[in-house]
Amino acid sequence: MQNHPSYPKLSQLIAKYPKASAALFQVYNDLLLAQRWSDIEVLDLPACSRGAIKGRRPITDTETIRSTCVVVPCSIAESLSTSWFHAAFASLGDPPPEEMYLAITTEDASTVYYKISKGIVKPPV
Amino acid sequence: MSLINPSNRSKGPHKGFSKRTENNRIYAHPLPLVLFTPPDPSPLQRALGLVGISSTQVLNPHCEGVFDAATRSVWVDKHGGAMVLWQRGFFGKGDLSRSEPSWLARQINARKMAGKGLTSEEVTAKRRAERKQFKLDRARAMAAAAAEAEVAFAEGRVVSPGYAPDGTRIIPSAATWKPSLSTAAEQAPPTPDDAPEEGEEGDGEEEPLEDLEHLQLTLQEAFFLLWNLDCLTVLSPDTHEPLTLPQIWDTFQNAHHPPHLSALPPAPSPSPSPLPSIPPSPSPAPALRRFDNPFLVNYVVYHHYRSLGWVVKNGIKFCVDYLLYKRGPVFHHAEFAIVVCPVYEDPADQASSPFELQNATPFTWSWLSTINRVNSQVQKTLILTYITIPAHSRLSPDVLSSPACFAHYSVREVVLRRFIPTRMRD
Repeated sequence: MQNHPSYPKLSQLIAKYPKASAALFQVYNDLLLAQRWSDIEVLDLPACSRGAIKGRRPITDTETIRSTCVVVPCSIAESLSTSWFHAAFASLGDPPPEEMYLAITTEDASTVYYKISKGIVKPPV
Repeated sequence: MSLINPSNRSKGPHKGFSKRTENNRIYAHPLPLVLFTPPDPSPLQRALGLVGISSTQVLNPHCEGVFDAATRSVWVDKHGGAMVLWQRGFFGKGDLSRSEPSWLARQINARKMAGKGLTSEEVTAKRRAERKQFKLDRARAMAAAAAEAEVAFAEGRVVSPGYAPDGTRIIPSAATWKPSLSTAAEQAPPTPDDAPEEGEEGDGEEEPLEDLEHLQLTLQEAFFLLWNLDCLTVLSPDTHEPLTLPQIWDTFQNAHHPPHLSALPPAPSPSPSPLPSIPPSPSPAPALRRFDNPFLVNYVVYHHYRSLGWVVKNGIKFCVDYLLYKRGPVFHHAEFAIVVCPVYEDPADQASSPFELQNATPFTWSWLSTINRVNSQVQKTLILTYITIPAHSRLSPDVLSSPACFAHYSVREVVLRRFIPTRMRD
C-alpha cells in the first residue's frame, strides 16, 4: 500500500486511524480513479475515528451542476449505530449537510455506497 | 471478451453466439493449472502410455502477489499473472473495477472517446441510462393518458387508454421502447473533460497511462491457490521475499488480530515454528491462536465450495457473504447466495473471542426474511451454511499450527425457500 501514489495524501490519517485505513484507502482510490470525482479532499472525523472524503461527483441525468458530497468509508465487518451517524453528521460541519454517503468495503475490494439522510426523506416521484 | 477491440454486441438478455464461443474460448480453464497433452506423442511416450504412464503435463503459471496487511488481501498486478488468475477460475477482483481489472482499458477508451469496445462497467452504465430514460418516457406517457382520460370522462366520452386511434401503443413497454436519437447523442461522450486524469496531463494525448489497478485476492482465495494448487507465491510487503507456507499460515491469521501492523515495525516475538532462519514476523503465541479466527472460518467455507467446483465470489451486493456461480460470472448469474453462520461448539469461546464474527448469534426472523426476499427477487436461492467451530477445551491450540486443523471444522447447509401455500400447490 505504501508504494501506491495515493498513499502520501492518506498517510497521516492511516497512521492516526489504523483500523479504518483499509476502507479509507479503497474508497479514496475508487472515487478518485474509478468514479472520476474531482476536487477531492480528505477530512478528519475524530468522532467516528476515521477519515472521510469530500468531493464533486460527475453529473447524473437529474442534475445540472456537480454537487459536493461527503463519503464516509467503513468496513463490512463493523457495527454502526444511529448515534454514530449523528456524530458523523455533527462533525461534518455547521450546519451539517442533509445527506452523506456511506461506503462499505470488503476484503475483495468491492465497495457499495449508501445514501444516508438526516431524518425521513420522501422518495422521488 | 476483449475490452478495447470492438466486438459484436447483441442487445437483450441473450448473448450472441459469437460472444458465447468467445467466452468459452477465453475462460476454458476452470483452474490456473492446465493439463496439457502433447498432440504428437513420440514412440517412447506411446509405449509408456500403454503401460499407464501418461504424457500429460501440468502447466503452472506461477503467479506472484504481495501481501497487504491493512486491507487483508494479496495484490497481484498484471506482471504477476492477474489476468491468468481471473481467466482461469475467476479468482480475485480488480480493485477499481466491477470484476475483471479493466480500469486501464476504460481510461484508454475514455481518452479515445471511441466507445466502440465497451467494458462491462460502460455497458452497465449505458443500460442503466437507457432504462432511466425509458422510465421517464413511460411516466410521461402514463400521465398524459391519465389526463386525457380525465378530460374524456368530464366530456362524457369513453376513450380506450392504452391505444391511440391508429392502433399504436401510447404507453411504451420495455420490449418495444427504443432510445431516441437525441438522448443517445447526449450520452455518447462520457465525461472525461471535467475530471483531470490521474497523474500527468498536459495535452494528455500521448502520455502513457500508468496502470494503477491491481487484482485483489482475499486471503481465502490466495490460500486456496497456494496451498492446494501451488500456483501462487506471496511476497512480503517489506522485503519482497517469498513467504514460506508456515509464515503465510501465521501471517494470514495475524491479519485479523488487531492492531494493524503495516505501518509499525514487526515486534519480535517467540515464533512457535521450528525453522531457525525466519525473519522476525509477528506471529501469535500459541495461546492466542483461536479456532474462530475469521480467516479460518471463511476459508473452510470457501474451500468447501471451491472444491465442489463452484466459483465463489463476494456477495455484498445481495446482503450475503458469498455467491456461487456454476461456471463463472461471465456465463450466468449466480444461482446461490451463501450466508455463513458460525456455530461455536463451546459458548465460552464465543464470550472470550476478540473477533466479532458476523451471524454467530441467531438472527431475527425479520432480518432473515429481508435477506431471503432480496435474493428471491434476483432469482437466487438462499443457503445458510453452518460451520461448527471446535472448542478450545477439547483441542489444544497446537492443532492450529498447521492447516490440518481444518479437519476439525464441519459444514452443514440449509436451503431456504419461501413457501406460499396458495401458489405452491403443485
